[in-house]
Amino acid sequence: MMPSALRVESFTAYPTQARALAVEHLGVLKRMPLILAAALLRQVIQYDWSFPAEREQLLQQLGLLQQLDTAAFDSLMSSFAAIPLASDLSKFDWVNHPQPFSEKLTAYLWEQHLSDNYHSAGQMYQQYLEKALPQARPITPRWTIVVIGKGSQPTQYPLFRHLTPYGMLFTQLDPKGALEILSDAVRMRAGRYPLEYGHWYIDGGEPYSAVVDDARLTTMSYARLAPATKREFSLLKEFTNRGSANGSVGPEAVGSYIVGLSPEDLSLKGNAPDAALRYFEVNLITQGAGCQIFSTTFVQWASRECLHRAQPLTLLARFSTRQCNAPMEQLLARDPLQQTQDTEGSLIDADIGAYYTWINQSRLSGADESRFLVWFEDRNLACAISPTLPKGRTSTGAINMRQVLEYMA
Amino acid sequence: MDTLRRIAQQRAVTRRDFLRSVAIAGTASQLLGFAPLRAAALPQRQKTVVVTFGGGARDEETFAPEGQENIPHLMNELIPQATFFTQVVNRGILGHYVATASLATGVYEGFDNFADVAPKNPTVFEYFRKGLNRPANDAWVIAPSNGFNRIGQSDGSLIAPGLGAQVILPKHLLASALGKSYIASPSMNFLLQDNYEDLLFTPPSVEGNLQTAKLTEMLHLSVDDFARHAQTLSSADELSVYVMHQVMKQFAPSLLWITLHDMDIAHTGAYSLYLEGIRRTDRLCGEIWQMIESDPEYKGRTTMLVLPDFGRDSDFSASGNGFQHHRTGDPLSRTTWMMAMGPHIRQNVTVDRPLDSLDLVPTLGAMMNFATPFAKGKPITEVLG
Repeated sequence: MMPSALRVESFTAYPTQARALAVEHLGVLKRMPLILAAALLRQVIQYDWSFPAEREQLLQQLGLLQQLDTAAFDSLMSSFAAIPLASDLSKFDWVNHPQPFSEKLTAYLWEQHLSDNYHSAGQMYQQYLEKALPQARPITPRWTIVVIGKGSQPTQYPLFRHLTPYGMLFTQLDPKGALEILSDAVRMRAGRYPLEYGHWYIDGGEPYSAVVDDARLTTMSYARLAPATKREFSLLKEFTNRGSANGSVGPEAVGSYIVGLSPEDLSLKGNAPDAALRYFEVNLITQGAGCQIFSTTFVQWASRECLHRAQPLTLLARFSTRQCNAPMEQLLARDPLQQTQDTEGSLIDADIGAYYTWINQSRLSGADESRFLVWFEDRNLACAISPTLPKGRTSTGAINMRQVLEYMA
Repeated sequence: MDTLRRIAQQRAVTRRDFLRSVAIAGTASQLLGFAPLRAAALPQRQKTVVVTFGGGARDEETFAPEGQENIPHLMNELIPQATFFTQVVNRGILGHYVATASLATGVYEGFDNFADVAPKNPTVFEYFRKGLNRPANDAWVIAPSNGFNRIGQSDGSLIAPGLGAQVILPKHLLASALGKSYIASPSMNFLLQDNYEDLLFTPPSVEGNLQTAKLTEMLHLSVDDFARHAQTLSSADELSVYVMHQVMKQFAPSLLWITLHDMDIAHTGAYSLYLEGIRRTDRLCGEIWQMIESDPEYKGRTTMLVLPDFGRDSDFSASGNGFQHHRTGDPLSRTTWMMAMGPHIRQNVTVDRPLDSLDLVPTLGAMMNFATPFAKGKPITEVLG
């Protein structure tokens, strides 16, 4: 099916709000090259469970495209339209299954050496959107606080070396009460700038008791989601066993099956207003490689996706230790919370995780005003990045966490 | 966003500088022009060992200043003896099997990375055996997983079948051996890790027991001895190098290809395990060279080529997640390096001109004197003279 053949009935299987959105913008969807239409429908079909920031961006994008005159629209679409598409791809049900379509498209683009063309088209399109729809600055500078090393001892590994060039290293920080000071600061921001899905707390183990019950924060933890990952692997095993009886099960079939899993399938319970979070959690543990088995990967990936999708004003991400490595078969089968922990490796994983979290925060609007702090939990070492602090400097004087936050403000 | 773009650009620009710095002593000889080769005196019965430094290593964790601590053996033992190429660009599909197959055919293969298919184009092993009329035991491949089981021979559409390499899948060999051995221990499952690229992918099963028995017999290994030795190893790549050593001792093949893969554990997102994999691969490269230099069949007549199959995604590519995967196709994930060492290779020299991954097969053909008619790419003159 080509986009020009789209009808109102094409979206019958979509969730309520997604269907209404697609129908409202049917005209513009019909004019798009198939590749871009499928990419947009991948977002549209998730609309009912999207975060406010995602919704706003999608609405703005569709609205902009709808307003373009024919010449400007065709010019914008030309680089996507120039990518040849195999007929079996256009015959695929990309309207109802845009995610599996995307996986097939990726394989096709690699095979045909068209990936560069696709990336280039995507970049041009993105740059156009950035220019036409400049993102509003947040109502207050974003703050991201990353706490690493819970349960780990200091080693020879040089922590924060990726981040130090952009901020100030504190080597004599008083750790006493620091976690409480940080959680207080996060809760205070949540109170001062109330925003739906605007303030997050992600933990690699059991969440910190002082924060966990604060309804103003969106809270996630690896410990809470671990049973859902076990459930996921168990369902997958059933699926592949069923499939194996009828022949081999390829990675594409497995991928499509995973994408179709819902919060209910994974026994993730919540209430209706929390649906976006439940679906976000499902996306994390079904699509984030490694975040089912390693809590460090979970915190890094969850932080990345949270910043990318929810664009929060505040994020507190706290790494814990991860289980020791083992053959994949065992990792997929055993309870990650009951295993021996790799304390040394976890610290290294968390260190790069903190760096990636800073990179991801720096992709959001208002990055030049954003604040970023990483602290080695219960230790004297922290690195703060803020427009108020010099870059690449080290402070060796005694200081407490409250003072660090004041310097950053 | 601007800051990130600036940093990313800076990284790309400085890549050339930091790679050159690893063999700074070689710069002088490059400026003075190449010294004359001893090509006329090339030893008889020349042998070649290809090591793919896989799967997927970035500059940041290897030859960049902050990465050099992970590769002490390459830096201190091998580089001073090698010609080092700072830019090898892979323009193909960045999946490990298909990319390694492309390295082996000299053509960017286009098949599904996870499919149980042979490369379409003739492999270097077939060119070698056909061109020099060599027996089957003169070309061997030690491959990292069942998914690589078809890498030794093309699908036969462009060259007569039956000229491929002997392919050993050490993990498969061990799994079969463990099935029979009383020594089997759960701790050895570490050595059987087959695939990291897709955590849920099970590679195709490989026809087995007969081949296992035949191989262990050929290698003069008892199943129990093999399993017993495996117990002393800590990774799949160590197992591969052990098997490689047995192959060298028993057959001394002229063309030997080993694909290392431990570092691909990066797909789990655990950076520490990825670094551990790189350090192990570095050590194993040093050991392989020592094996070559201490074996009379190889010493003084062997060229060793070490190269990654490709890199991994840049930290700054928005569609990727840094070191974890190799999906974006960004320039840093496509650009790697190669080192060549051996009796006729200039030592401690750095070459900055870009090579293509496809240049490997025509270079092997030119070095060993066999034709590679379907291979793309060009022979690398710096190792030929």
